Amino acid sequence: MAYSHALPCTTKQLYSGVDLRAAGCMTCQLKILIVDDNPLRATIIEDGLREAGHDNVARLPDTENLLTRISAIDPDVIVIDLGSPSRDILEQMFHISRTVKRPVAMFVDQSDSASIRAAMDAGVSAYVVDGLKKERIKHILDMCISRFNVFSRLLEELSEAKTALAERKVLDRAKGILMKANGIAEEEAYALMRKTAMNEKRRITDVARALITASDMLEGGRR
Amino acid sequence: MKTLRIGYIPLVDAAVPIAAAEFGFAEEEGLNLELVREVSWANIRDKLILDMFDAAHMLAPLAIATSLGIGHVKVPLAVPFVLNFNGNCITLAAPIFEKVCTAIGRIPADARESALGLARVIGEERGRRDQPLQFGVVFPYSTHSFLIRHWLRLGGVDVDRDVQLIVVPPSYMAASLSSGLIQGCCVGNPWNSLAVDAGVGAIAALGAEIASRGPDKVLALPQRALEKDAETTFRLVRALRRAALWCEVPSNRRDLALCLARPNLLNVGVGLIEETLSGGIRVTGDTFRNCGDFLLLGRESTNRPDPRHARWIFAELAHAGHVALSPGGAANAGAVYRHDVYDAATREPVAPMSGDAVGLSFGPSFDGDDLPAYLDALDR
Repeated sequence: MAYSHALPCTTKQLYSGVDLRAAGCMTCQLKILIVDDNPLRATIIEDGLREAGHDNVARLPDTENLLTRISAIDPDVIVIDLGSPSRDILEQMFHISRTVKRPVAMFVDQSDSASIRAAMDAGVSAYVVDGLKKERIKHILDMCISRFNVFSRLLEELSEAKTALAERKVLDRAKGILMKANGIAEEEAYALMRKTAMNEKRRITDVARALITASDMLEGGRR
Repeated sequence: MKTLRIGYIPLVDAAVPIAAAEFGFAEEEGLNLELVREVSWANIRDKLILDMFDAAHMLAPLAIATSLGIGHVKVPLAVPFVLNFNGNCITLAAPIFEKVCTAIGRIPADARESALGLARVIGEERGRRDQPLQFGVVFPYSTHSFLIRHWLRLGGVDVDRDVQLIVVPPSYMAASLSSGLIQGCCVGNPWNSLAVDAGVGAIAALGAEIASRGPDKVLALPQRALEKDAETTFRLVRALRRAALWCEVPSNRRDLALCLARPNLLNVGVGLIEETLSGGIRVTGDTFRNCGDFLLLGRESTNRPDPRHARWIFAELAHAGHVALSPGGAANAGAVYRHDVYDAATREPVAPMSGDAVGLSFGPSFDGDDLPAYLDALDR
């Protein structure tokens, strides 16, 4: 592998949208392995790395025979999800030289704990080939941190959307019950629930849920 | 009320910090323990040294290795409290356990019989195997790897030739026994009992049969944190000590098991946890084995850090080839175990520490002083 030093790919360049390929990063062809059980997140990270000019990216979706497979891929950098118990398998790389040829050192350098902390907060950890210059992998780690955070935000948004959808369904059902019981129109049913919620200082979905529960109990009692 | 974040791995031996948080012992000391469940020992170590945790449930050998810079990180840690002795088992995959039973003509009654049986099976199959037997341990630096080495040694198995120890996370252990990736493992409960329940393995040896006082998990914190605020550590030690004594009262076991079983904590059946706490372990089928010392959480002087244990761990790490034996290393290892902090916090009367510290059933005694002699005895 050629270790000729190319233009440093700094975090600043990465975020300012400079085309790193054009900036000469083709020469820093580190082989990067992503170990992640979540295919969506792995794709998001891989895309990010490729956009930054890293074409040599491999992925391992699961952990069967992890060390043997890592050994076959022979990566320079391993990026792993902190939620994976397999991190402890990787710790073994420091001892079993016959399984993984080159010694690998984790990017927990006590001189750069802020960067590592950011990685841990984002939920990602990285292992690198011993001897690689820290500057060469900092932007890779930064990229992974930002992509992990993107993924977390996506998950949050998804969960919010799901909650919103569920609440909408609850409101619709409660409205239907009121419309049927009181013989009123949809807007009136909604206004009634909102007024009750305001008077009782409760959330409108809580009022709707209580109404559904009560209605179910009455229905059940009749049966 | 001061909040402390404590990382833990969901194992029965995390009982004491969990009990301290859940049954009011921490509160009595003005502490709010925020327990954070983790999935790997590497996460525990890294979050502890990056101050993302105030303290952690940790493998004792990992605390020693991290303090001494064995591996790739060197951050001095302090152990002011020992969380347990024992609690591990050696489990064999069902196919090889059957061979062991055939070799000795019955289900092995104890660790000695299973070790001799396995040695016979290995001897018979020597030359026919294309790779050595693989045994799963939870971390490169762990009591589990020491126990497996002692157990194999008893049967005369050459640990380095006939067996390969590989790291398998506890949650993958049963699946790995079942898939044939590993033929055996040493892990803390409930994971052995879960493998037995799933029918993929049988318990061949209890950790307590190999070492009667086997150091296992400790409470660790960065030494600099202890120096900065010793008073908080004293309060934590007192809370843990009271919780540990409560855990040891048999009539509290049911409440403790119900608590540990919760989905947000260990998330396993109450029955398996009660078995582990009481030491009545189902080893295979309808065969149970009773061992009063299966897991010690606070009896005797379990919780008081004994530097001889730290030196034993150092000697074992040296024997496994992780570090070179040296008087300086032994002294540094011993200094990680802070009985002075424990004593200052609890003000309990101190029993003298003498004699054999570990109680190896099939190995030399360990008095904590002459490490080269201990290693020589192991190799004889």
